[in-house]
Amino acid sequence: MTEELRVAVDRRQGGAILFTKGYINNVGGEEIANRAYELMDGGVRTLLLNLRETKIVNSIGISILIEIIEKMMDKGGRIAFCCLTPVIHKTFQIMGLANYATIFTDEEAALRELGLQA
Amino acid sequence: MTTTAERQMDLTLPMVPDIEIAAARAAGNLARELGMSSEAIDEMAHAIIEACINAREHSGSADKRIYVRFVGSQTDGHPRIDVWITDRGRGFDATAARSRRQQLGVTHKRGWGLQIIEAHMDEVEITTSPDGTTIHMVKYEKPS
Repeated sequence: MTEELRVAVDRRQGGAILFTKGYINNVGGEEIANRAYELMDGGVRTLLLNLRETKIVNSIGISILIEIIEKMMDKGGRIAFCCLTPVIHKTFQIMGLANYATIFTDEEAALRELGLQA
Repeated sequence: MTTTAERQMDLTLPMVPDIEIAAARAAGNLARELGMSSEAIDEMAHAIIEACINAREHSGSADKRIYVRFVGSQTDGHPRIDVWITDRGRGFDATAARSRRQQLGVTHKRGWGLQIIEAHMDEVEITTSPDGTTIHMVKYEKPS
């Protein structure tokens, strides 16, 4: 039984948006990390993860997201999240992720605050 | 207090990647039939996922099986699901695990399973010995 995660990238002036679809487990977390590190290596320092089409996460997947946040912080950049389900938001808070990344309710507010233009 | 007849489901699952999704979906189907809210179902699903991952990743069980039982009921029209996740592994020190997690921070990225389970469920009881571990969790719809 597999639950593949799909990740789409939208490059913006000033950064990028990653759209996830599916289960963020260890494999899904690594997929997000690969995309994020490619963008960071390319100079992106502002990254928004839109989780609108992700309904399930696990603690291993979140631990990988925290690693991505730490690497971005080391580079002086910023990662934010938007469009979380209430339960994913609660789980992020439990694991402390919410202390290191801004969480926006919707994408419009995130883009405005982060200065990510089309 | 009026309690309706219970509905029970038993599953024996192999310890393979993503099998936790099968357990969470089965519980979700039962909960939906009982009229549980989608947010309560979602919380329960995330707790079941963490319990199954703990069993798969840490139990060291020889039979490589996760034994799952769901019992759904309604009391005065409010749905309740009891979940048992059992492995036949080596057990663990629950007291030490609870103590350790209080020291966790963002620099400690792993070991959050129990905390997530307890945050998402209404009742959690862990029974563990060298013969295995059972996590009994309860989710109920609170009267509005």
